[in-house]
Amino acid sequence: MRRLGAALFLMLVVLAALYLGLRTSHGLNFQTDLLALLPGEHDDPGLRQTNDLVNRGLGRRIVILVGHADREHARNAAAQLTARLQESGALGDLETVTGGDRMRRIGTLYFPFRGGLLSDADRRMLQDGHGTALAARALSQVFGFVGMADARLLHADPFLLMPAFFSALAVPSSRLAPDEGMLTVRGEGMTWVFISASLKGEPFELDVQKRVIGGFDHAVADLGSDVTVLRLGAVFFAHAGARQAMDETSRLGAVSTLGSVLLVLLVFRRLGPLWQSLMSIAVGMLCGLSFSLWWFGELHVISLLFGMSLIGIAVDYSLYYFTDRFVCDGAPPSARLRRVMPGLGLGVLTTLVGYGALLLAPLPGLHQIAVFSAVGLSAAFASVALWVPLLDRGRDLPHGAPLVTAAAALWRFWERPDLRRLRLALGLLLLGAGVVGALRLHADDDVRRLQSPDAGLLAQQHRIEALTGMGWSGQFFLVNAPDDETALGIEEALADRLAGAIKSGTLVGFQSPAAFVPSAARQEENRRLIRDGLETPLLAAHVAHLGLAEPPEAAAAGDGAPILTLAAALKDGSLPFLADLVPLRDNGGVHHVVKLDGVRNSTAVRALGDGLDGVRYVDPPSDYSRLFGAYRDRAVILLAVSAALMVPLLALRYRWRGALAVMAPPVAAMILTPALMALVGEPFTFFAAMALVLVLSIGVDYAIFCAEAWGARKSVTLLAVCLASTTTLLSFGLLAFSGVFAVHTFGLTMLVGISLSVLLSPLGGLACRRP
Amino acid sequence: MAVFVLALAVLTLLPRSVGAADGGTGPSRSIASGSTLHGAFVQERRLQGFKAPLISEGRFTLAPGQGLVWRSEKPFAVTTVITAAGLVQEVDGTETVRMPAARLPFLAKLYDMLGGALAGDWSALDKEFTVVRQGNDRAWRVELRPRVAADPVSMPITTIRLTGGLFVDQVEIVREGGDSDVLHFADQTLSQAPPSPEETRLLVGVGR
Repeated sequence: MRRLGAALFLMLVVLAALYLGLRTSHGLNFQTDLLALLPGEHDDPGLRQTNDLVNRGLGRRIVILVGHADREHARNAAAQLTARLQESGALGDLETVTGGDRMRRIGTLYFPFRGGLLSDADRRMLQDGHGTALAARALSQVFGFVGMADARLLHADPFLLMPAFFSALAVPSSRLAPDEGMLTVRGEGMTWVFISASLKGEPFELDVQKRVIGGFDHAVADLGSDVTVLRLGAVFFAHAGARQAMDETSRLGAVSTLGSVLLVLLVFRRLGPLWQSLMSIAVGMLCGLSFSLWWFGELHVISLLFGMSLIGIAVDYSLYYFTDRFVCDGAPPSARLRRVMPGLGLGVLTTLVGYGALLLAPLPGLHQIAVFSAVGLSAAFASVALWVPLLDRGRDLPHGAPLVTAAAALWRFWERPDLRRLRLALGLLLLGAGVVGALRLHADDDVRRLQSPDAGLLAQQHRIEALTGMGWSGQFFLVNAPDDETALGIEEALADRLAGAIKSGTLVGFQSPAAFVPSAARQEENRRLIRDGLETPLLAAHVAHLGLAEPPEAAAAGDGAPILTLAAALKDGSLPFLADLVPLRDNGGVHHVVKLDGVRNSTAVRALGDGLDGVRYVDPPSDYSRLFGAYRDRAVILLAVSAALMVPLLALRYRWRGALAVMAPPVAAMILTPALMALVGEPFTFFAAMALVLVLSIGVDYAIFCAEAWGARKSVTLLAVCLASTTTLLSFGLLAFSGVFAVHTFGLTMLVGISLSVLLSPLGGLACRRP
Repeated sequence: MAVFVLALAVLTLLPRSVGAADGGTGPSRSIASGSTLHGAFVQERRLQGFKAPLISEGRFTLAPGQGLVWRSEKPFAVTTVITAAGLVQEVDGTETVRMPAARLPFLAKLYDMLGGALAGDWSALDKEFTVVRQGNDRAWRVELRPRVAADPVSMPITTIRLTGGLFVDQVEIVREGGDSDVLHFADQTLSQAPPSPEETRLLVGVGR
């Protein structure tokens, strides 16, 4: 019977291995976008779709600044880099030469419609009746030192309103200026040439990253070390993040595996327990990975990271079995398995309940981790229950006596009557620390901090933002309207409010489609302003002052004058940033984006959209942070649910009182851990809450093992608990050293929680009367 | 473009020693840092499509290390102030144009060229222009032609001619298409006094 079970399980494992082999032969890709771990659901599917479109557009954009103290050097380097990137073929619409030709094309687009175009400042001047000041400005430009006008321009635009409109256009930013065909800015004592490009492919695809970054790094290296190249783009952050995760997986994984191997060898001084433990881990990993790949189709790299750490728990079961050899009563393997089976079985069941709770959270990444862990642990358990007794030829291990005695010290601490005061002191200390910590407890759901973006890239982003005046904070207003004209009108109303926010310093700037193409109503109004404020009262005198040979054409004349439409401007394509601002136009209506730069006060800016129909403020980082906060709350509820679900399971064996006694140590650890972490200033995050789910499952295991211990097995059981917790700390606890803040807080929670669980676990055994 | 004119105006007021070191010709008087050059100018702008040249006249103040204040008085008052921080234009005390240096990379290029020239290094200027010098210290003539073809966006200039003696007397700038500017300088004096409080206010205001 037992052999049949072992054979059947072997077939399952072979199947899993074959499937994994098949998948790996096609090359295995892992997702690396941290936000992919977030739920696919959102309160508004239309918003989510637009959000995706906007983010995809922005996510694909790459911005590069090439800087050198010498202008020529910077320009040559920029040209060389552009050519190299062009060759690589990984980037589309690469733009260095934005100046000359681009400006000419923009001029050609706008010129026929000049009668209806005014810069905001000029518009205000005319509204306030300061037409004469505009005429004086034109004269000063003609006569003064800045003689940019020629007869042709003056003929078409006698008040020089177009140059003012152009210089107010943020294409793409007001600080960048065309300089002999290249968009350039001066800063930090250097000349910087601006290059913009868009990615062919998604920034989070590993092969796209490899192609782009590989080509980019080579091209930059060839420019020489004296050229400074600043880069910005989702692809760079994604690449750094993926590399960090991969590095950590292999580094922490190696330390964890090596540590566990050494520990088992040192304790048992036999190869048997080692290779059989490793076998059960390998079986667990194999089955977990294979099943999740089959179930989900693709795994996230973070799921993989946590999956690797599974090693720490899977080994618990075999360690629990093997430490029974230290009892030294000559029992055969099958008898030893029978002795540990109740504890093992209950441990696995409660752990599965704990992981089951993860499935209740609607977070795809947690589903992956839960399924990976549940399947892996079940397989590891099956291999211990079905295979190990057949393979185990081991005898009693008498050398373990000192270890067993040492482990028993923890029992003595909880049992000896003369240590009562010490126990009381410890209890009060924990309680006091817990209360103080609980008072200092604060939550942190900031997704930007949880992701821990690469510091070097972040510094480059800040420099690029400071130099160009552009901001990439990601907030925007979404304007939803039945047609372009309505949307543009709404944006003009919004723009007036945003201008106020810029003045008061809550916002640095914004880009909206209406700034490039005013609504038809606004163009008509401008036409009227120009006619009534400039042409009718001032044109004759102005022309006389200038001394033009022929009278100029009146730009604003005629009510049937042409109107520039958004559709025409988009089709023309000479405004590259306009398409990003108009992500969606279809029969159902239009979505426009008003991109915000340098939002200093998100709440104040959010309020600016109030009362405008179809205007919605979107702040992806804070929206995601809010989601994290909501799910952190949910995770705490899940914890309570899973603890409550474990009680009836335990009551089957220990009765209700006993079940509560067994639950007491893990629950205490679970409550104390966030409080103790708060004492050293660690915030409570969603990831810490998820770690507590594991602390609970594992802590319950330990308490069960202790409750199952009697007589000589008491000390041996504690040895097993100590061994198991050490390996757990080696794997999960090590994550506290991760550079990714989310992973760090997960690891630290495990470190504190598991230590507390071990310390308190004998309490469950003492308070519980065995059946 | 106009910035270019300015730069040349400044350039023509280079210290004598520079020209001498180069063995060439140029203005005979040098302006030491801390001193100020004042003078009057007449600007004659000949534009096609205009009945007559656009003529403006006024006074200027050049303070090395601080900048240039260029005041047109006729036919009406326009003040242009240029410093390392950028360019500002005022009509009747009201600002009409403001261009920070960050938006004028070409200005930076010219500052580099001038800085080099002031330090006795004409190579930067030579890289951009062919320079032909004639005459002697008392009456000289310099002609500059851009080495690259005139670019209508950033440097629509075909020729620059400077003539002078003790100081620069006249600058002629010929643009692509035949338009030209002629600047006549007169009444130039060097003083050891710093710019007037009003001029200092204007110069400082550019960086505001």
